[in-house]
Amino acid sequence: MADKRVLIVDDEIHIIHVVAIKLRNNGYEVISADNGAEAFDLAMRDKPNIIVTDFQMPVMTGLELVEKLRQHEETKDIPVIMLTARSFAISQEQQDELRISGCLSKPFSPKELLGNIEDILYEKELVTDN
Amino acid sequence: MRFGRSLYMIATSVVAYSMFTGTLAKAQNSGTEEGWCLAGYAQRMPVALVCFVVVAMGVILLGWYWLRLARAITSIARLIKDGKANAIGNGKGFFASLRMANIDELCEAFDKHFDDCSVRIAEYEKQIKDLQIQIQLSLRREKNAEAIIYSIRDAVIVFDEYDRLLMANEAAGRLFKFDFSNSQHTPLTELLGADHREFAGFISHCRKSKGQATRREIELLEDGDSKTFDCIVSCVYDQSRQVCGVVVVLHDITRERQIQQMKNDFVSHVSHELKTPLASITAYSEMLVDGETNDEKTRKEFYSVIQNQANRLSRLIEDILNTSRIESGLIKVNKEPVSLTMLIKEQLQMIKGCAEEKNVEIVGQKPIVFDQVYVDRDMMSQVIINLLSNAVKYTRSGGTVKISTEVDEVASLVRVIVTDTGVGIPEDEVERVFDKFYRVGANKKQAKGTGLGLNLVKQMVESVHDGRVFVTSKVGVGSTFGFELPLATRQTVGTV
Repeated sequence: MADKRVLIVDDEIHIIHVVAIKLRNNGYEVISADNGAEAFDLAMRDKPNIIVTDFQMPVMTGLELVEKLRQHEETKDIPVIMLTARSFAISQEQQDELRISGCLSKPFSPKELLGNIEDILYEKELVTDN
Repeated sequence: MRFGRSLYMIATSVVAYSMFTGTLAKAQNSGTEEGWCLAGYAQRMPVALVCFVVVAMGVILLGWYWLRLARAITSIARLIKDGKANAIGNGKGFFASLRMANIDELCEAFDKHFDDCSVRIAEYEKQIKDLQIQIQLSLRREKNAEAIIYSIRDAVIVFDEYDRLLMANEAAGRLFKFDFSNSQHTPLTELLGADHREFAGFISHCRKSKGQATRREIELLEDGDSKTFDCIVSCVYDQSRQVCGVVVVLHDITRERQIQQMKNDFVSHVSHELKTPLASITAYSEMLVDGETNDEKTRKEFYSVIQNQANRLSRLIEDILNTSRIESGLIKVNKEPVSLTMLIKEQLQMIKGCAEEKNVEIVGQKPIVFDQVYVDRDMMSQVIINLLSNAVKYTRSGGTVKISTEVDEVASLVRVIVTDTGVGIPEDEVERVFDKFYRVGANKKQAKGTGLGLNLVKQMVESVHDGRVFVTSKVGVGSTFGFELPLATRQTVGTV
């Protein structure tokens, strides 16, 4: 798993910290950003395998970040998991349209997040292999 | 009757005379001597005498009737002279006089007719009075209805069964830009204009469908501003249950919608703000429980995060409760003499770390000789920290936040001013920044918040301490927030 890179985007440093520990403990490489604009630059540069982003952030929201990612060839296929404190913030249509792989409602369990990441990456690998 | 009898007497005389002359003629024709004698005697009687007698009787009769008529006329004249024209008018005096002239039957017939007429006239007069009263009542009701409609702040328009304007109040005229006095009976589509064709169609449809009260929310432009109206169209029915018009009431719910939106935003923000520390607490606790932390240092760090996030959660809940308590007047206030300079110094220490992290310079004030105010220390600390943290939040890296106090001895006031070089607030939003739950649209992305901080400042300064808050701002240049409070008198300070 060491070759899997995860980009975590949240303006709450504590969330980044705890998720990073959980993922590193499970063999992932973690990079982080505290807003959407910075995350996009990192995604373009470091090409993470998956992005975990908060929904509500200053400068650029999680949704705006995904929209931007989907517009660029280098980032358009990166799976995204959205963390949100608002249950109804993203509709199913938006999720389908922006190809958001999953949504986790805050407060969330790091274990559950890890499970989601593993599932999504596994599915992606299967698709790539075939 | 008497007149008849007189005529009978005259006729009898004429017949007797004829019979007498007839007998004479027979005697003459008989050829006897007595017959000739009698006939000769008769022929000697002058015919003129008979005529004279008849004429004389006629004259006497006419004279007698003339006298009666003259007496009746005299009687009528007397009644007129006595001002009793009504008695003549209703026929009684006149015919009573004529009755004396022996024309009783005719008089009685006329009397009866006049009596009937009088009864009918009285009935008609009563009906006319009733109608006049009803007209007065209807006019009064119409005036009342008009007064009610005119006094309603909502726009009210009444159309007839042909969709023509019957009545409208000033609010409706303002909204659809027409003058009611010149627009009566104007067709609906013409009155509302091309801009509101769909709305006109909706009203027309409601009338045709005979709906009791059809409701729809519509957006209309008023003085260039888009407004939301709750529109109710009700059909008016006549006695045969046929639609004879429609009443359209437009209630402006723009403010309600804005408040609703603000409440939704508030719930959303609060939910987010509450869930964020809760998310940290949950995640860190799980990591500790799952043994993901191998060393004591990391465990301590996790405990510390949990504690800080719990405190954060507690503060947020306290803010929400404080707002509610102040509004309901249930908050406990412990006023004491406090030096604002000292209070500011304490709060600057609190904000220092956050400002440094963001690379924002904080410039404090110079000490002032006497700036004591009689306030609740905790509340005033919160006022200052809210203003300072807001200034830091909306100031970009490299910017400056200044805080100072001024004493106005003439007005006996002390003023605290917090100036930043932040993003600023658009002019049309400056007045609303102290509103509960309000967040400046353009600055929402700049920092998180519930829209409660500045509202708490205003409540605490103005409602609890009889002070005043103020703000000036320019987009891209920065903002100045502040408040002023009455200076504590030296006596107050001394006695406490």
